[in-house]
Amino acid sequence: MTSIADGSGASGRAETMGVWFVVKKTLRKPQFWFGFTMIVPLLIWYWIFSFWPIIQAFRMSTVAYKLLDPGNSPFVGLGNFIKISQHPLFWVSVKNTILWAVYSFIFNLPLAMLIAVFLSKVKRGRNVYQALIFVPVVVSLVAVSLLFKMLMDPEVGQLNKLLSTIGLPELQWLSSSSSALPTAVVIATWKGLGFFVVILTAGMLNIPSELYDAALVDGTNPWQQFWRITMPLMSHTILLVTVLLAIGSLQEFTLPTVLFGSEGGPGNSTFLYNLLVYQEAFLDIRFGTATAASLFQFAFILTISILQIKLIRPSWTY
Amino acid sequence: MAVISKAGDARRQPPRRIEISQNVMHIFLLGMVVIAIFPFIWMVFASLKPFKELVESRALLPETWTLRNYEEILGRVNFYAAFRNSIVSAVSVTVVSVYTSSVMGYIFSKYRFVGKEVLFTIILSTMMVPFAVIMVPLYITIANSFGLADHLAGIIITGFYTAFGIFLMRQFMESIPFELIDAARIDGASEWRIFFTLVLPMSMSPMSALAVFVFLVNWDSFLWPLIVLSSQDKQTLPLVLAGLRNLWWTRYEMWAAGSMLTVIPVMAIYAFASRYFIRGIAMTGLKA
Repeated sequence: MTSIADGSGASGRAETMGVWFVVKKTLRKPQFWFGFTMIVPLLIWYWIFSFWPIIQAFRMSTVAYKLLDPGNSPFVGLGNFIKISQHPLFWVSVKNTILWAVYSFIFNLPLAMLIAVFLSKVKRGRNVYQALIFVPVVVSLVAVSLLFKMLMDPEVGQLNKLLSTIGLPELQWLSSSSSALPTAVVIATWKGLGFFVVILTAGMLNIPSELYDAALVDGTNPWQQFWRITMPLMSHTILLVTVLLAIGSLQEFTLPTVLFGSEGGPGNSTFLYNLLVYQEAFLDIRFGTATAASLFQFAFILTISILQIKLIRPSWTY
Repeated sequence: MAVISKAGDARRQPPRRIEISQNVMHIFLLGMVVIAIFPFIWMVFASLKPFKELVESRALLPETWTLRNYEEILGRVNFYAAFRNSIVSAVSVTVVSVYTSSVMGYIFSKYRFVGKEVLFTIILSTMMVPFAVIMVPLYITIANSFGLADHLAGIIITGFYTAFGIFLMRQFMESIPFELIDAARIDGASEWRIFFTLVLPMSMSPMSALAVFVFLVNWDSFLWPLIVLSSQDKQTLPLVLAGLRNLWWTRYEMWAAGSMLTVIPVMAIYAFASRYFIRGIAMTGLKA
């Protein structure tokens, strides 16, 4: 099949004819013109707003970028990569980001799975429960940040008032460097959980109910059903959720920025990697080191995603 | 086995004891619902309380109901402009990208041309590139080549195509039979007509799912608008809202009122269309 655009698939003969004939034939095809007018804008857009910036990022990471005279930026090789890894907050931000991702997994996955299992088994009210549990996903993330900053104010916040009413000690929540990061991840989980619940529930409802009926007849308990039926048949959906969780939590920016400002306070305990990239790029205006930093992140996220796919993806489909 | 299980007795007697009871599940799910919506309900009432009451009282409902917070915040901050900017950018990105995703999904599924698979793979793999990688070069392109720094168009044009949308729509288009399209061609329908009057109407369900997804993402978008938009009257709701922190340090009643103003429109839509939201997200998960 050598024709350029061909929707109906009857061009095998074209090979024996001249090239010019093929071109002329192709140009006459309505499919060609439809495809052409749709693909060309796509190519132009992708070149300008995706491919070119990516190529540029690799180029910029190797030069000391001159803002006023970019064409004459001196080549520094791997200098930017070395420079960013010596940034005083580099390893702090790496540690914080990995912690953030680990907490995200611990808080999100088991809880979302449990809710999804219950939602898929509950006989009445599934849609209402789902609609209400999904509400935080719809609430704007910045509003969520402000809301929890209010609730978690150590002096006047409602959560500490609640704790003291029940007679428990008050907590520092977002204000101490030891609890700020896990607390922020709790907020992120509150906001994002409904999304994963919906995806997981949809996956579970896709499992044929005959399997559970058969398992019941065989006398299995819910625990066995979960590990022998739900988990294996859900592996594709779980893979999707873990990859989304990893990609999302390793690139977190909005929540820590609105909660703590761009310094990632208290005591840099919530200074995530994306805050470092943002700071380098747009506050310190060092484009070269900023893109070098972002390429580290790229390599890391790519590795993690490939590892997840290798580890979780089942070798079979159903 | 299905036959046995439907024969009543065999299913009902022994296994019943070890099934998780419906009541336990309802209690747990109700607890989750309370956790999910209570903070939000608290904020609704907090926005109607005077500052003194908000920080001192433990009660959920206000003692003195007041709309002064809203008056003050609308007098100080241009929420109308922010709201307009957010609507304009989120809606135009949604409309354009849902359209381009459908067209390209159709073409990648039903057309054959040289380099199709390669192009599709390259487009998909751009999804793996973190935004931080392209944000600086993209900003330079937007600012220098297009002169769109601090223009709303700068955050709209970058959302015209989405790799995820193209992927999602192609997955769906695979289920449309070739015969249907060929039949329309034989009947003499133009390619444009086939796409707009045959394929598009069939694709409404995944398109609305994608529209919900794209709208939510763009309505909430923070980092890219933060980079592109600098002047007050150009900013979108999330940026203006985040600015309240510096404008009113710990004046929580203002935070609550401002948050409510940004949340109400989406919540109003959600109240009527929650089914489509849920279905949209569920479908994106199943197709991906």
